[in-house]
Amino acid sequence: MFRPATLTALAILALAGASLAGLAGAGGNVAALSSLGPYLARLVAGATVQAGLSMLLSILLGTALALALLRRRFPGRNLLLAVLTAAAVAPTIVIVFGVIAIYGRSGLLGDLARAVGAEPPAIYGLQGILIAHVLMNMPLVTRTLLQAFGREPGERRRLASALGFSAADCFRHLDWPVIRREAPALATFVFLLCFTSFAVVLSLGGGPANATLEVAIYEAVRFEADFARAAALAGLQLVLCLGLATALATLAPAVHDEASAERHAARPDILAPCLLRLDCLVLILATAWIAPPLLSIASGVAAVPTLATAEFAWAAATSAAIALGAGLLACLFAVLLASAARGRRLRPRLPDLAAFTMLGLPPFAFVAGLYVLTRNLADPAALGLMLVPLVNALMALPYAYRLLAPPLATNAERHGRLAESLGIAGWTRLRLVEWPALRAPLAAAFAFATALSLGDFGVIALFGGGELTTLPYLLANRLGAYRMDEAGALALVLVLSAGGLAYLTERWSARHA
Amino acid sequence: MTFLNSRMTRIATALSALLLATPSMAQEKPALTVYTYSSFTGKYGPGAKVKAAFEAQCSCTLNWVASDDAGSLVARLKLEGETTKADAVLGLDMNLAAEAKATGLFQPHGQDTTALTLPIAWTDDTFLPFDWGHLAFVYDSTKLAAPPTSLKQLVDDPNGPKLVLQDPRTSAPGLGFLLWMRAVYGDGADTAWTRLKPRIVTFTKGWSEAYGLFLKGEADMVLSYATSPAYHIGVEKKTQYKAAPFSEGHYLHIELAGMTRTTRQPELAKRFLAFTLSDAFQLLIPEGNWMMPAKQAAGGLPASFADVIKPERTLLFTPDEVRTQRRSFIDAWLAAASR
Repeated sequence: MFRPATLTALAILALAGASLAGLAGAGGNVAALSSLGPYLARLVAGATVQAGLSMLLSILLGTALALALLRRRFPGRNLLLAVLTAAAVAPTIVIVFGVIAIYGRSGLLGDLARAVGAEPPAIYGLQGILIAHVLMNMPLVTRTLLQAFGREPGERRRLASALGFSAADCFRHLDWPVIRREAPALATFVFLLCFTSFAVVLSLGGGPANATLEVAIYEAVRFEADFARAAALAGLQLVLCLGLATALATLAPAVHDEASAERHAARPDILAPCLLRLDCLVLILATAWIAPPLLSIASGVAAVPTLATAEFAWAAATSAAIALGAGLLACLFAVLLASAARGRRLRPRLPDLAAFTMLGLPPFAFVAGLYVLTRNLADPAALGLMLVPLVNALMALPYAYRLLAPPLATNAERHGRLAESLGIAGWTRLRLVEWPALRAPLAAAFAFATALSLGDFGVIALFGGGELTTLPYLLANRLGAYRMDEAGALALVLVLSAGGLAYLTERWSARHA
Repeated sequence: MTFLNSRMTRIATALSALLLATPSMAQEKPALTVYTYSSFTGKYGPGAKVKAAFEAQCSCTLNWVASDDAGSLVARLKLEGETTKADAVLGLDMNLAAEAKATGLFQPHGQDTTALTLPIAWTDDTFLPFDWGHLAFVYDSTKLAAPPTSLKQLVDDPNGPKLVLQDPRTSAPGLGFLLWMRAVYGDGADTAWTRLKPRIVTFTKGWSEAYGLFLKGEADMVLSYATSPAYHIGVEKKTQYKAAPFSEGHYLHIELAGMTRTTRQPELAKRFLAFTLSDAFQLLIPEGNWMMPAKQAAGGLPASFADVIKPERTLLFTPDEVRTQRRSFIDAWLAAASR
């Protein structure tokens, strides 16, 4: 009766609910919440506009980039994909400093503008937030869509060639159905990430008019120690996020698909000159957008020798252990959730909601709630070792799920009936039916989840200290001690590790394609 | 799931046994657990030296438990309540003192505070100051030749320097500046914010982001501490960074220590509090925490501190005033600065 997907989804929802309930029980004054009404309404309204624009831009540009990458093969394509992943998972403070280095008043563009006698660009405000958010979110859109396009049966492309499809026909009949299928969930994903974004919004927002509910939740925990209010606000944020997710889910058409024997048929539109120009333009623009802020981090290379300490080695080892554990766990949870699609029931609503829950839940409220629930069970040091990878895995779960759920759904649609009629089930089905289709997405999901945990600071904040120091923890520590150069070196190490991991998994999946 | 959890418990137990091996071998010595914020115990903080110096005289073990910042210290204490393992806490500040006191977890420090070198008289018997610093705007004197000499000049000059500040909702110095504006302008603070707003580049989440943006050249001045230039002189040998003295006076940031009511080591905790005011501890503060010592040691201050500005007036709200009025101050700021 209870499938693994349902059980996993219920477990995640229960954990989220229990953590908020635990937090609410830790004391505070919810009654004061009503006096915050107008303030909260303004926060939600502002965040909605910001997240909506971030989402639209990320989806539009991410789709254009995915199509360009789909149609073109060029040297450095894998490298670009790795840079995309690195941009999506870098710690937010690294993104902020990267964006500033290029678009800031004294950044590259500012210097160029002054050199030709123009005004330097004004980045602080909604435009700055959008630049950073698209930089962080377009990559996942691109990766997911690229995978989705790649899964389409080659027979369709062959048929399109035989019918002499124009570029516009190709878009209408080949690409649009895929975009229409994937976009609602991706839009929800990006919207929620931007709706709950925090450090980026404050640093680049230019004033209190740009903020999110997350700011109020942080304030309640850190300044007022008002846990009941924090829990109530977190609950409000969660309800808004899940409401949106449910609404957008109704836009997604059901998956209809048929088995495919051919995968490598070429598209008829790759030779169209107008598309070639468009793709070149998109690739150049996307590279020009994403690469410079990340490349600016290379300035940290000068301080890399200062990292040769036992403390750094220990933190790097701890980070690697936590991130690898969290990456594996996130993939495991994601596969369990996504296995709902195997049953070919209408739509796997509950698993979707469970994955989106982890995006809507503010990490520090979640961790504080978990701390309340677990602190009497064991020593905090031992708990930290256990909870940090688990929480990191749950935080990375939405990314892994986004990359894994669609291929599993397609696969179930294509081979599910055959597998059932042949009586192939359980482990055998996973090995014979799902594994071949899941290998590449799984590698991408693992890279995303691991790299994301590598850069995560939020979770470690409450349990950290003592032996449990990680690289982002050191990064924050150095920034707080005036050591910007050393922090720059740590940022470089983090981004290179994330990019390197993505590059290796990219090559691995390409070899096994 | 169960398999995974039992597996993880075993791994965690094994790992923690490994990590805790050293303290448990030295079990005959009593242990003192002190909660503090992470930059105190970090590589460049004074934590390791403080631990060594205290252990050399107490025949005990001092265990630091580090939280993110002062705010998360209070949050953690409040979450733990009576079951907290903290014997003492080092690193609260005046803006959180009332909140911390309201937890009922602290007991009187029992120390003599008459010889403190604070800019104000100290009367609180729960919390003991261990260092302090005036808030100040820091600038690069090679880029900004004539910094404002008063807060009023900063606020009123439409062609004045561009500033990067911290958000008072999420940052201690950010809240400090909000209170500074209140102390100088009173109810006129809102219109003062409206006049200042066009020159504020942004309000960051915390001090680190703001100071980083300033060093990268995004603003002419950053809200920081009067002691910040001492860091650049002492470590980087750079003398161009200066703090601008304002004629109305400067808002004061004081860092506090206290001992818990629930401690099982009251004698040791009290000894630790006394130690925080001793020369051995106070000498580590200036170039370890880049703050002013609460009880200046006989040897005076290091050379890097020679030029730290000494405001004639000190501005400060009491912890209770902060606790009761913070929300309304922030609401007024939101309305004024969002325009």
